[in-house]
Amino acid sequence: MEAKHDVLIVGAGCAGMRAAIEAFDAGADVALLSKIHPVRSHSGAAEGGINAALGNASEDDPEKHAFDTVKGSDYLGDQDAIEVLCNEAPDDVYQLEHWGAVFSRTEDGRIAQRPFGAAGEPRTAYAADITGHVLVHVLYEQVMKRDIPTYEEYFAWQLVVDDDRCQGVIAWDLLNGGLKTIGAKTVILATGGAGRLYVGTTNAYACTGDGMTMALRTGVPLKDMEMMQFHPTTLAPTGILITEGTRGEGAYLLNSEGERFLKRYAPNAMELASRDVISRAEQTEIDEGRGADGNVLLDMRHLGAEKIIERLHGTRELAMTYAGVDPIHEPIPVRPGAHYHMGGVDTDLDGRTDLEGLYAAGECACVSVHGANRLGGNALMETITYGKRAGRHAADWALTHTTIEVPPSLEADAERELRRLLDRTDGERPWSIRDQLAETMHENFGVFRREDQMREQGEIVAGLRERYERVVVEDKGDVFNNDLTQALELGFLLELAESMVVCGLARKESRGAHARPYDYPDRDDENYLKHTLVRWREGPVLDWKPVKMTKWKPMERTY
Amino acid sequence: MKVAYYKGCLASLSAKELDTSTQALSPLLGLELDELESVTCCGAGDIHEAEPDYYLHLNARILAYGAATGAETLMTICNVCTLNLRQANFQLLNDPELRARVNENLATVGVPPYESDIDVKHLLWLIVEDDGAKRLREVAHKGLKGLKIAPFYGCQILRPSKLLGFEDPDRPWSLEAIIEACGGEAIDYPAKIKCCGFPIIQAREEVAMGELIQPIEQASEAGADAIVTPCPLCHLSLDAWQSKLRDATGHDFKMPILHLSQLVGVAAGLEESELAFKRHVVPVDPVLEKLEI
Amino acid sequence: MHVALKIWRYDPESGERELRDYELEAPEWACLLDVLDLIKDQQDGSLAYRKSCRMMICGSCGMRMDGRAVLACKERMKPIVDRGHVPVISAMGNMPIVKDLVVDMDPFWSKIRRMKPWLEPGYDEVLEQERIVSQQEMNVIQKESLCIMCGCCVSECNSMESDPEFFGPAALAKGFRFVGDVRDQASVERLEDYNDEHGIWDCTRCYFCNERCPKGVDPRDAIAKLGAESIKEGIDRDMGAKHAKWFVKSAETTGWLRETELVPKTQGIVSAVKQTKFAIGLAKKGKVPPPIPPHVAADVGEARALHQLVREQGRAGALGIVQGERALARIEHTDAGGARRDAPEVTPGEEPPKAEG
Repeated sequence: MEAKHDVLIVGAGCAGMRAAIEAFDAGADVALLSKIHPVRSHSGAAEGGINAALGNASEDDPEKHAFDTVKGSDYLGDQDAIEVLCNEAPDDVYQLEHWGAVFSRTEDGRIAQRPFGAAGEPRTAYAADITGHVLVHVLYEQVMKRDIPTYEEYFAWQLVVDDDRCQGVIAWDLLNGGLKTIGAKTVILATGGAGRLYVGTTNAYACTGDGMTMALRTGVPLKDMEMMQFHPTTLAPTGILITEGTRGEGAYLLNSEGERFLKRYAPNAMELASRDVISRAEQTEIDEGRGADGNVLLDMRHLGAEKIIERLHGTRELAMTYAGVDPIHEPIPVRPGAHYHMGGVDTDLDGRTDLEGLYAAGECACVSVHGANRLGGNALMETITYGKRAGRHAADWALTHTTIEVPPSLEADAERELRRLLDRTDGERPWSIRDQLAETMHENFGVFRREDQMREQGEIVAGLRERYERVVVEDKGDVFNNDLTQALELGFLLELAESMVVCGLARKESRGAHARPYDYPDRDDENYLKHTLVRWREGPVLDWKPVKMTKWKPMERTY
Repeated sequence: MKVAYYKGCLASLSAKELDTSTQALSPLLGLELDELESVTCCGAGDIHEAEPDYYLHLNARILAYGAATGAETLMTICNVCTLNLRQANFQLLNDPELRARVNENLATVGVPPYESDIDVKHLLWLIVEDDGAKRLREVAHKGLKGLKIAPFYGCQILRPSKLLGFEDPDRPWSLEAIIEACGGEAIDYPAKIKCCGFPIIQAREEVAMGELIQPIEQASEAGADAIVTPCPLCHLSLDAWQSKLRDATGHDFKMPILHLSQLVGVAAGLEESELAFKRHVVPVDPVLEKLEI
Repeated sequence: MHVALKIWRYDPESGERELRDYELEAPEWACLLDVLDLIKDQQDGSLAYRKSCRMMICGSCGMRMDGRAVLACKERMKPIVDRGHVPVISAMGNMPIVKDLVVDMDPFWSKIRRMKPWLEPGYDEVLEQERIVSQQEMNVIQKESLCIMCGCCVSECNSMESDPEFFGPAALAKGFRFVGDVRDQASVERLEDYNDEHGIWDCTRCYFCNERCPKGVDPRDAIAKLGAESIKEGIDRDMGAKHAKWFVKSAETTGWLRETELVPKTQGIVSAVKQTKFAIGLAKKGKVPPPIPPHVAADVGEARALHQLVREQGRAGALGIVQGERALARIEHTDAGGARRDAPEVTPGEEPPKAEG
């Protein structure tokens, strides 16, 4: 064991860092562990904003926020979790401002809030169009202030489980090489999503679902895995994100005929309808031949140069660099891209999983706050509120429990397994498995899903997993071997993909991001108002979990 | 072409040779200089750092007096003046509210307002723009006889490129074009676009020497007969402070440093009284010998 | 399209450094990062570099192309291929190389931490709501807040090359992010600290940082803002500050710079006396113009009056620079930055990277 801590947090994005700060302030010996430097975390790519019922732009209250979230989740969200989020959100946002977050301001100097998708009131607090970046930096400043030890560029690979408790993490030290074990009384997974399952994704290369698969491999269940959100405005071919904030500021979505086509799909909310509704609308327009080269057009010209330069400067930079268009003069071609995983590690309201000592928070967790579809701006809020809750609970638990036991046999097994991978010289390079996975997921498990395609995808993934058994790492060195870590990431993705497909097949209805217009076009509350749960026992095994309802009964969902 | 001529501080005093050679050369290049009298130091990076609002107003005053001559171009002969004036100009031209405020202040102290726009250009750009190098060949009739000249651009004629924008800041070509047009051979070396250290040569001498050694050493090793620079501040570092390098390294480089106007001037046959090489700290004699002057 | 490039490889285990050629087919939309990915996937899995977001926000992929620091995910390859140019890729400068294109960022981060980069609100109690701050006040630190900590500015810093302990553009820009933040109550202490021997006045004003920064932070301007705030607060004991103040004095008294007095005013009489031999050498050539009679510009009274006037208008310190930023934001922040790229190729010399450790 290299070291031991009370609380070890894997992943240092917004959720991880917020948890670390909370655990530190609660008096625990806490450490962060991340395969990239904390400020490189993908939370920093979030753009549009963070939701809280501050009431700075209009009369608002947490109950309205909660209802919008429940409806947005297509009634699959757990309402107690949603209420907790919406009630605690305002104070959590004020805390960020007290730490120095550089929010945009209203005329009277309050935190500015903009309208966002599927929100009844403008409650998305923002910092121009770089909100995630601003939050990552303010949190990292607070981490530096407390001098919280950080295992930087440590690739977490396996959870240490002994005596029915999670007792630490086995990680590959990327800078120096070698497997290192860090013992901890509690481990919080804050590793983000798995957008890299898809070929067009807003996600960074680092988003490979590491924590979710690590949890899965210990027998901990994952919830709602079929729910992957496709963000309506991403650039082709990479999937780089163009923020919903553009639509919040008034941008239009047009098809190739110059029509604001959303009037046929979401006549009330139009461009600010729920993301799943808009992605489906776009995909339909494209499939029916009214796309422009496989895209629709995001038109901001009418907003004017001043507003674009002031509030959407980052967006303009992205459009000019990656799409070759200046949004002041031309519309941006966009299409749906894999963006956010509503599903994840099943947790309770304090981030606890069903493995003692193991927690999860942020995108890799599923409380569930977002159900079958997430509102824009709620993800950042979840990282903060649930990061804080998990950090506090983990610290309190760790401070009242003792001992950490890491059996040497676990470390030896891990060494052996890694050696087997590293020593292999005959086989396949990971990239073609990775690319085929991403292309077929896009094709067969995208915005619209069909029974036969999902079944086929299940077989394709099984075949890819077999090929993965013979994958070759070319770099055999110790120093900065990300050829090795990238191969391990592919392993994480493959198991997640298999789990997702099983859940997708099992849910025989259309709800939120899971759209089956050809075989099950309607929502079926009678049979499917429940979460999918998947556990790994030599393969994914399906189960169900009821949805927690407090105030709201499912209603027809239109925008 | 008539231009408003802003010569800056050094050309008025310690680098008088820059002014005399510029004034003698300009008619040969078709430039009619209208020298600005009611102006001050542009502030260098110093007033920009110490009292930036004052920096803006001093430069606005220079621009205002320049525009008042009726010329379309304000000619500078120093990198730092060029950046300072162009930066102030950008701010005024692109922000009407700011311009209004500054003009009100100028009016209060009796300066004509900055109303008709003027463009700030360094002599370097005026020489080479619009295929100027071709025209230069005729002017530089005496030629440089294959003299090996290392161009030293310095910093503030290239960066920040969004304010200067005449040429690619990493692949500049203007000095090379001039050297070639004058019959010399342009020497290439990596430090030609790096900093001479002048801004900190008094406050942080050691750090500055670490910078200054690079162009001198590299040009020397590449076999240059002389270095040419468009900035009198770089000239001061490279020439007047060269002896400090001797103290620091034990090596006497004896590298003559020419102002741009002197390089073109000597190729165009100007007299010593106009070129004033004798004012240089590092003797220019080896160059003059090679040119058989 | 067919892409050719050269990469400086460094193997830490053998200590070998080598410039290797690579050629491959890449899609037309590819950036340098995409090309590196293709090489790593299909040609050489040992090629080491950092990456994550591929959209210019995480700051991982800083590296040098033809000796100048860029974000690999920002550099489109097509214009380079169309020009027939074969770029040389190497690790960032001023930081020790770990392997290939990966540098040790520890010195970078320790300088950031040196700035005490967290808000000091000056109170402990928890407020009920947000502090009231105007958008105008927040705009003062808008550019410095854009910093993604990529290290491109530090890579090219000429001062840091000569003085490795110089805090550097990224750290000082982060410093201004707090000095300029109206909610921070520790500005004066910060300024005292940043006026260190290796602080603000160590900057040589080469503007490489402004030029290289992929996000438009303009660190040099942040350093100037710190200088302005220091002088406004009366923190001016550094020679650099004295040097700067003498320019102000000159402008309002004689108009032109009082060059000869600059040395003693900056360095003090004792130090100036020590340099007598040097000064005499300069004086022989007329490089030390006599301070008397003073060289006075025409109508210098206007300059004097202007100084008085602007001092009364309260845009002292950093605000004097911030006020110009709205105008500068209107300049197209394009790849060429307005510079002409039709000129003949003059390739800078290929410098091998300095590898340490």
